[in-house]
Amino acid sequence: MTAIRSPWLRAVAALVFWAALCMVPLATDSYLQYVINLVLVYAIIGIGLNFLMGYAGQFAFAHAALMGIGAYTTAVLATRFGVSYWVCLPLSGIVAAVVGSVGTLPAMRMKRVYLALVTLAFAELIVWVLINWKQVTLGTDGVSIGAPELFGWRVKGDKNVYYVVLTCTAAMYWLARRILESRLGRAFVAIRENEIVAQCSGISIARTKFAVFAISAFYAGIGGSLYALTLGFIVPESFNLFQLVIHFSIVVLGGMMSLYGAVIGAVLLTTLPELLRDFQALQEMTYGAVLLAVIVFLPSGVAGVLKRYGLLPREVLARGWRALERNHTASAVLPDRAGGRR
Amino acid sequence: MSLTTLVVAGLANGSLYALVALGLVLIFKTQDVVNFAHGEILMVGAFIGFTAFDRLALPYPLAFVIAVLLGGVLGAVVERTAFRRLAHEQHITLAMVTVGLSFFLKGAVRLPYGGDIYTFPPAFGAAGPLVFGDAIIAPQNLLTIGVALALSVLMFLFFGFTSLGKQMRATQQNMTGARIVGIDTGRVFSVTWSLAAAIGAGAGVLAAPISLLYPDMGTGFLLKGFAAAVLGGFESIPGAVIGGFIVGIIEMLFGGYISTAFQQVSAFVIIIIVLFVRPYGLLGRKPLHRV
Repeated sequence: MTAIRSPWLRAVAALVFWAALCMVPLATDSYLQYVINLVLVYAIIGIGLNFLMGYAGQFAFAHAALMGIGAYTTAVLATRFGVSYWVCLPLSGIVAAVVGSVGTLPAMRMKRVYLALVTLAFAELIVWVLINWKQVTLGTDGVSIGAPELFGWRVKGDKNVYYVVLTCTAAMYWLARRILESRLGRAFVAIRENEIVAQCSGISIARTKFAVFAISAFYAGIGGSLYALTLGFIVPESFNLFQLVIHFSIVVLGGMMSLYGAVIGAVLLTTLPELLRDFQALQEMTYGAVLLAVIVFLPSGVAGVLKRYGLLPREVLARGWRALERNHTASAVLPDRAGGRR
Repeated sequence: MSLTTLVVAGLANGSLYALVALGLVLIFKTQDVVNFAHGEILMVGAFIGFTAFDRLALPYPLAFVIAVLLGGVLGAVVERTAFRRLAHEQHITLAMVTVGLSFFLKGAVRLPYGGDIYTFPPAFGAAGPLVFGDAIIAPQNLLTIGVALALSVLMFLFFGFTSLGKQMRATQQNMTGARIVGIDTGRVFSVTWSLAAAIGAGAGVLAAPISLLYPDMGTGFLLKGFAAAVLGGFESIPGAVIGGFIVGIIEMLFGGYISTAFQQVSAFVIIIIVLFVRPYGLLGRKPLHRV
C-alpha cells in the first residue's frame, strides 16, 4: 500500500473508513455482531500484550489474569454496588494497571526466567482468588452485567455494545501509537534489545519496565471490562491459561512489534474459537499448532509478511515520521525497516 | 491423620515433584529455556501408561517402560523438529514454543479421551496399606519414593561419570567451546530432551494412581515442579530433588493442618516467596552480572 500523499485524499479516505465501520451493524445479525465485538475487544488486549512481549520483550503470564481483574472490577462494582459502567470502565483499567505493575514490581529485578515463573504463579493465584472469594465474586457461579445507560441511550444488545467497543478500541489504538512514537516507546525496544546498552543511553530500566507493565495491564483491564460488557456474563475460568494462550497466539500470529499485527491477529483468531466452540480439544490443538508453526516458520507474523510485500505501511517509532516521509526526505532520514525481529 | 502419615504422603508427592523438577532443570541447564510443556509431557506419559496397563492389560513394569520409552521419543521429536531450528533465538521465542507445545499436546490427548476423568489402578492392586505404628503408608507411595530416589541417583552418576554426561555438562557451560573440542551439541540437545521427557513420562505413570487422569492434570504438576526447581536454584540436580521433597511435605502439612483450599495454592506461594527472598534458591549461588 503506497501512502496517499494528498492530505485531502487522506482525510476523505479516513472518513470513508470510519463511516464504513459505523455502518457495520446495518449488515450483521446479532451473532455476527457479537463476534465482531469480541474481535475488537481482543484487539485491545492484543495491543496491550504486544507492548509487553513484542516491544519490551518481557515474557509474563499475567495478562489473562489481569483481564480477569478488569472484568471482575466492572462486574462486581456495577452489579453489587450499582456504580455506573462509565466509571467502572476506566477504573477497571486502573485497578489492573496497579495490580499488574505493583504486583510484579519485585519480580522486575529478577532474571527473565523467574519473571515468567512469578507471573505464572501470580496468574494462577488470581484465578484461585476469583474462584474462592465467593462473598465478592460469587465463585464459579459467575456474575452477570446489566446494560449500561448513557444520556438516555441504553446500551443493550450486541449492536449497541458495538459502538462502545469500537470507540474504545479506536481510542486505545490511537493512545498506543502515541506512546510508541514517543521516547518511552523507543525505550521499550531498547530494553528489549539490550538492557545494558539501554542503561548506558540514559534509560532507567526499572522505570521503563514499571511503565510497560502498567500500560500493558491497563490495556488488559480495559479489555476485560469490555469483554464483560460484550459477554454479559463472566466466570473465573474464562481467565485461565487457555485465555492467555489465545492472547499469545494473537500477538505472535499477527506479528510481534506491530500494532497492525495485534489487530490482524485478533481478527484471525477470534473467529476461530467461535467456529470450533464445541470442540475444546480442536481449539487447543489449533492454538498450540498456530503458536508452534508461526514461531518456527513465520517469525515476524502476518503483519511482517504483509509489510515485506508492501501491503501494510511501515511502523516507525518516531513522532511525525509520516510527514517526513511525505516530504521525500524520508529515505534519507529513516531506516529502511522499522523494528522487526533479530 | 498422624504427622508421620502426612509426611510420608508428602514425601511421595514430593518425589513426583522432584522428578518433574529434574526434567525442567535438565532442559534449563542445556538450553536456557523453561519448558512450559513439561506438565503435558507428564500427562501424555500417564495416558500412555494407562492405555498400556488398563486398556491393553499389559503388566505394570512393562507399561511403565513403554511410557518412559515413548516419552523419550516424544522429547527427541520435539527437539529435532522445533528447538534445533530455534537454538539461537531469544529466550522469549523458545518459551513461547513450549507454551504452544503444551496446548497442542493437551488437545491431542483430549481428542481421543475426551474431558472425562479416569482412575489409574495402583500397581499393587489388592495389597492393603502398610501400618508402621501410627503411620499408614500406601505401597504405591513407597514405590514412587523408591523410583524417584533411584532415578535421581542414576542421573547424578550419569552426569558425573559417563562420557555422554560429561559432554552434556560441557555443552551447558560453553556451547561453542564444546563444539570446538568435537562434541556433537545437536546430539547432546536431543539426548537432554529425550531424557527429560522420559523422566517426565515416568513421573506421569507414577503420578496417575495418586492424582487422577485427565488432560488438564499437567498444569498442577508443572507448577509444583517449578516450585521445587526454584527452591533448588533451578540449576542443581540435588537441589531439584530436595526442593521436590520440601514442596511435597509443605503441601501436605498445609492440607492437613490449615485447609485443603490452601493446599492448592501452597506451590504458588512457595514460588513467590522464594523468588522474592532468595531468588537463586537454597542451593544456587548468587549470580554475577557480567557486562
